[in-house]
Amino acid sequence: MRIVVGEGSCGVASGAKKTEAALAALLAERGGAAGDGSYSGITLEKAGCVGNCYLEPVVDVYGDDGGLAARYVRATEERAADILAGTADDLLISDEDAAFLSQQRRIVLRNAGLINPEKIEEYIAAGGYEALRKALTQMTPEEVIEEVKVAGLRGRGGAGFPTWFKWDAARNADAGGGAKYMVCNADEGDPGAFMDRSVLEGDPHAVLEGMAIGGYAIGAHEGVIYVRAEYPLAITRLEIAIAQAEEKGVLGKDIFGTGYDFSIRIKAGAGAFVCGEETALIASLEGERGMPRLKPPFPAQKGFWKQPTNINNVETFANVPFVIREGGAAFAAYGTEKSKGTKVFALAGKIAKGGLVEVPMGLPLRDVIFGIGGGIKAGRAFKAVQMGGPSGGCIPAALADTPVDYESITQTGAIVGSGGMIVMDEDTCMVDMARYFLDFTRKESCGKCNYCRVGTKRMLEILERITLGEGRDGDIELLEELAGKIKDGSLCGLGQTAPNPVLTTIRYFRNEYEDHIYNKHCTAHYCKALVTYAITDACVGCTKCARNCPTGAISGEVKKPHGIDQAKCVKCGKCEENCAFGAVLRD
Amino acid sequence: MASINVTIDGKQVSVNSGATLLDAARAAGVDIPTLCYDERTEIYGSCGLCVVEVEGNPKLVKACSTVAADGNVVHTDTARVIESRKTMLELLLSNHVGDCRPPCVQACPAHTDCQGYVGLMALGKTREALELIKEKIPLPASIGRVCPHPCEQECRRGLVEEPVAIAYIKRFCGDWALGLQPGADAGGRQDAAPTNGIAADNECRGGLQPPADSGKSVGIVGAGPYGLSLAYFLRRMGHAVTVYEAMPHAGGMLRYGIPEYRLPKAVVDAEAAGIEAMGVTFRYGTKVGAPEAGGGTVTLDELRGAHDAVCLGIGAWVSTGTGADGEDLPGVVGGIDFLREVVQADGIPDFRGKNVAVVGGGNTAMDACRTAVRLGAENVYNIYRRTKAEMPADLIEIEEAEEEGVVFKNLTNPIRYEAGADGRVCRAVLQVMELGEPDASGRRSPVPVEGKTETIDVDTVILAVGQAVDAAGIAADLELTRKGGVAYDSATFRTSLPGVFCGGDCGNDKISIAVEAIADAKHSSGVIDAFLRGEDAPYRAPYIVERTDVTERTFEDRERECRPPMGVLAPDVRKGSFDEVVAGWTEADAAKEGARCLECGCGDFFECRLYRYANEYDVKPERFAGAYSVSPDDAATLNPSDDGHPFIVREEGKCILCGLCVRVCEEVCGVSALGLVGRGFDTAVKPEMEKPLAESGCVACGQCVAACPTGALQERLPLAKSVPLETEKREAVCEFCGAGCRLVIEECAGLFVKANPARTEDGRLGPICVLGKFGYGTGGAESAGGRLVLRSVAGMPPLHGGGGADPLAAVKAKAASLGSVSFEDAFRTIGEAYRAQGV
Amino acid sequence: MFSEIEPVMEKYAGVPGSLITILQKTQDAYGYLSEDAIAYIAKRTGVPASKIYGVATFYTQFRLKPVGRYILMLCKGTACHVNGAAGIEEAVTEHLGIADGETTADGLFTLDVVACLGCCSLAPVMMVKGPDGEETYGSLTKAKVRSLLDEIAARETEAAS
Repeated sequence: MRIVVGEGSCGVASGAKKTEAALAALLAERGGAAGDGSYSGITLEKAGCVGNCYLEPVVDVYGDDGGLAARYVRATEERAADILAGTADDLLISDEDAAFLSQQRRIVLRNAGLINPEKIEEYIAAGGYEALRKALTQMTPEEVIEEVKVAGLRGRGGAGFPTWFKWDAARNADAGGGAKYMVCNADEGDPGAFMDRSVLEGDPHAVLEGMAIGGYAIGAHEGVIYVRAEYPLAITRLEIAIAQAEEKGVLGKDIFGTGYDFSIRIKAGAGAFVCGEETALIASLEGERGMPRLKPPFPAQKGFWKQPTNINNVETFANVPFVIREGGAAFAAYGTEKSKGTKVFALAGKIAKGGLVEVPMGLPLRDVIFGIGGGIKAGRAFKAVQMGGPSGGCIPAALADTPVDYESITQTGAIVGSGGMIVMDEDTCMVDMARYFLDFTRKESCGKCNYCRVGTKRMLEILERITLGEGRDGDIELLEELAGKIKDGSLCGLGQTAPNPVLTTIRYFRNEYEDHIYNKHCTAHYCKALVTYAITDACVGCTKCARNCPTGAISGEVKKPHGIDQAKCVKCGKCEENCAFGAVLRD
Repeated sequence: MASINVTIDGKQVSVNSGATLLDAARAAGVDIPTLCYDERTEIYGSCGLCVVEVEGNPKLVKACSTVAADGNVVHTDTARVIESRKTMLELLLSNHVGDCRPPCVQACPAHTDCQGYVGLMALGKTREALELIKEKIPLPASIGRVCPHPCEQECRRGLVEEPVAIAYIKRFCGDWALGLQPGADAGGRQDAAPTNGIAADNECRGGLQPPADSGKSVGIVGAGPYGLSLAYFLRRMGHAVTVYEAMPHAGGMLRYGIPEYRLPKAVVDAEAAGIEAMGVTFRYGTKVGAPEAGGGTVTLDELRGAHDAVCLGIGAWVSTGTGADGEDLPGVVGGIDFLREVVQADGIPDFRGKNVAVVGGGNTAMDACRTAVRLGAENVYNIYRRTKAEMPADLIEIEEAEEEGVVFKNLTNPIRYEAGADGRVCRAVLQVMELGEPDASGRRSPVPVEGKTETIDVDTVILAVGQAVDAAGIAADLELTRKGGVAYDSATFRTSLPGVFCGGDCGNDKISIAVEAIADAKHSSGVIDAFLRGEDAPYRAPYIVERTDVTERTFEDRERECRPPMGVLAPDVRKGSFDEVVAGWTEADAAKEGARCLECGCGDFFECRLYRYANEYDVKPERFAGAYSVSPDDAATLNPSDDGHPFIVREEGKCILCGLCVRVCEEVCGVSALGLVGRGFDTAVKPEMEKPLAESGCVACGQCVAACPTGALQERLPLAKSVPLETEKREAVCEFCGAGCRLVIEECAGLFVKANPARTEDGRLGPICVLGKFGYGTGGAESAGGRLVLRSVAGMPPLHGGGGADPLAAVKAKAASLGSVSFEDAFRTIGEAYRAQGV
Repeated sequence: MFSEIEPVMEKYAGVPGSLITILQKTQDAYGYLSEDAIAYIAKRTGVPASKIYGVATFYTQFRLKPVGRYILMLCKGTACHVNGAAGIEEAVTEHLGIADGETTADGLFTLDVVACLGCCSLAPVMMVKGPDGEETYGSLTKAKVRSLLDEIAARETEAAS
């Protein structure tokens, strides 16, 4: 019997490590510990994240036949004994929750949560490195590129650029006798996206294998993974994976005896969203400030150390082994005409079942959010979904039937981006969302080009004054004008897409902007300066609100409804926070 | 190398393949603006000004980095390109802290370069100061005496103790040109009297030698400040000018509206004579107007027939009253009428033993009061409905009037005038007033105190409350304003009649001070000149960046130093005489006063590319007003980032993050004393580790200063007064070592101002080191005969020890061996530079 | 001086492009990048100090001032924002009297608001980096975060006495 504890970052944060420790302790009591976590016939292992983060920690029990016998969810340390004793049936995953997974089609996440990411043997047992062997022993680099072309694989990092095209350009680039580089962009910077982290934590070898295949295709012998420093677990697991792959001879010199050398090293980023942009990433790899450079020349011609360089995203690489092993056509069987394969989305926000979701491209948004994600938390109304992070936009509920593919999503004004889907309900203020993203881009702008550096700041200031109730007639138009010019005039993708969250919210929620500016009212009752608090008849006179009010604005007799002196109220919300009876009304 | 063909704005040009669109545009002679491009450094692309449209490409592309392709059709002047550039500039300017021009210049309606001439005066350059004034004000001796000097109101020296006496300095320069010497008893000083006569004035720039005759002629109606100044400017442009004046002498209100004791007629005459000497024709006693409407001696149509353009500057010669009963009584006269009569009748009427009331609170009222005093009046009352603090007259006029015995009846307003037995006015009944609530403008408006009046006996009442224009008689078809002034377009100065222009008090109901009329003359002269060439060039006030945050605190640490004393006639003496009250300064006093200037205006004004582009693109950055990345609070002093550097001054608030200094310092000089710090909106350029620049690895080659497109990096000039000046440039070879670096030497007024690296044949800036860049010039002395002299820096050892063995022998030898030199070959630090000289 | 990073220097000083790695390891060793450390790195690597400072101030990971024993990495990613991260920040700020980037007077806590920790499904989230490594706390409420901070403080007081 095998017991597997899901230990991605979400799982760990939910207490998975404690659960594992509790299980280990109990097992040790029973049968004595063995160094590799094997306890008298029961092995205790860890895996990455299976994806249903909202149920963490997850503990899977496999029978001796290797099949999954039971999946326990919300398996905290206190329940470890019950799990071992078989008295934790209440923790067994419900059919409904199981459907979260069964409705997906998993290519990228094929191993996530199932294999131990720290054991190359498990990856190999699941068919790992077969694609690399196939590529090196049976295919020319051109054939590899052709296969990727047939698959129709497009960059999963955001722009959706055809992968084969980049590989082909890098392959044909003149390295002038010098090196070529294969770079993995694992600087997952979009706030609200965590697909790459999960892949790196749950199935690091898939990325290594994809990189090696790509390296072979373009003629590179050196790979670099640029990974966020905020992902310590991912870095650890990558380090382990690289060491094991080298030991196994699937990385390093003379791979599979074919004479092909390919090594991979890790570079930890240091916290700069803009380094997701290729040229900025390269500057950062070179130890410089991560400021984008003008293109052309493109990295395929002059990249890392001015040598031909190809950069792909984690998820893109993770798809490659499947494409090579199963053939491009098998991959292209999923998705739409122009957007092939599957895409991993990170469902978060006001969603009932948040987590990682991998679905064929083209599935309607509604199916992802309601079908898989279970709809909105706490029975609130679905308002919008934000896709593509700071470069993307907000898609309103009315467009919930939009298929998730590159073209359709772009048409809405948002982008597929790296796959973050932040779901919003009626309590989310759309002007504030725009402000939030502009605050982000303003901080993350590298400061080089003026449209981005000053323009995003000015847009932010306008949005700030709108949310503070100081919006002026003409502000919406000024935002639109600035947005257009920043898109047109910025140096890199960060600036060129920074206005998108503003433009889409204006496009779909112009009424909310107008409500703020002209009525001095926040439609979602969110913006502090524009809300008023009132106490309803539901008040029982417990006095808690009055006691917690910092300005003494609330008065009333014990056991009688209280009232708020609006002149004294500073809108801190402490009354609402402290009211146990829901008697404080925010308007 | 293969060549390709590119079409830019319709011009075809052939360039080598690999050339950028910017290269191609330059080859085609099409100007593409850029603030971050330098041939010597790697393409950076931060400013985004160089965007253009390429046919077939949906995006705007940056010309500096886009390699031209054969057959490219490029447009640099589409609405989209211009809009993008304009907004870019507006965003930059919305985060730009500084004063392009000092507040004095901005306050002057004519934008006279006050800081410039005050600075030149401080440097002892009287002639050049005068020339600079006359660029904007052709009548400096007159205006220097009578101008209420709005410049001084805004002068920040006033935040220290008292404003720089800009007007007095102007008067000195004007007097100097006329050969007038300061009054003999001017504070008991007897400095060497200037000897240059009026001829000296005519030697000035644009004086006797106007450019080649344009073949065009202009008729100007009115020889007041507008007409005289316009004649001066147009004549300088080569046009034939005739001035038609109804009165027997030139000067207009300067002559007939301002008393002798403030502005002697001789001064006005002398200045007008200077203009006449330039070849301007004057026709006195010639009134323009339709004969049937009241007796003009020449019609406007006749003038239009005789000239290519006609300009109306007839002034505002009608006195208005307050509407009180009895204003039409004999003995009630208009203020300017009174003053004019006094001039024309040479001191008559005789007011001895009489009571005179003057109504009004402006300078004309004060002029009337003080003239009445001088005519012997027993009592002179000034009647004004607010308090002294609200009087529009200059404070000094009020004070001097008071000294001369004028009785101020503030907070009174005439209700009616009553006649005596002889039918003449004999009493004035005044309503007593008090100040009420502040009105919309913030001024407390006077309200009557119910039932409270006061009566005074008067023999004469002078109404100096306002003026109006009498333009009705000029021509029937000339469009007038509702109030009867000439109507014209304020940007083109065009009236309703083709070829007829207008300026000064007579137009658009803007009766104002003389310098305002002179500003009109300056601005309209350009418009008229263009018109004569068949072009249209409306006047547009330049856009400038100003600081509004400067307070007393800004100058806390300044040493207090008041103006040199000005000699004035004692009240007892002046009461009985029309002699000029103010004596005027000596050259030494004027120079000393000039040194008090705080140098508010940007030293980079004449080179700033941001300013240039801002005006080319007609920016309106106010719409993006927001926070500054360098807080003006941090930049509270006028030289914010004092790094203690002997040669270089940083003003972070003016930095536009083009990165040129950082890149040049690294890529050209190999020093990296400056670096980019932080990111996002708050990104800044700072010396390493945010240390003072002097403590960084800076080798003071000055390349950063030469590269900086704005005033963020400036140099300390080797002048006692660091005044922004337009310079004349010449090339020279640096004499410090054998490298033979070519320099561009900038000079002004015979003073060495600065040296910069010259451009090489391929357009790049050449090498320079601390010696070439900062080694020349001597604290204000002339660069005699064009030869460069070595400079010493206050507080620092001299760069050139002089005498004995050549202290730079080692440098020269090394340079010779290298063939050329860049600074890093010579020294690593400034200290080393000095040590190399054996200091 | 700087002996702790000698092995790092030996390995990376001569390798082009290693500046960020060197800075990371230096910060790991000393908790922050002091002026002296930057000067030392400049001397050892030949990279101008102005550039090192430029890099150190560009990336949010680097600190130029000493930090508290516990770094509170409060996530303000989109999911956290939507789920009330602003309120959590307010609670931390009020409870400890420090704003983003500041350290408590007792040197115990430094608040560091970060873009996204990638634990979006547990929003709002905070990672606490302490002497014993980092721990992530999810589904925070104001009350939860307050008691967490108190817990850590109590633990430290106990350990000290």
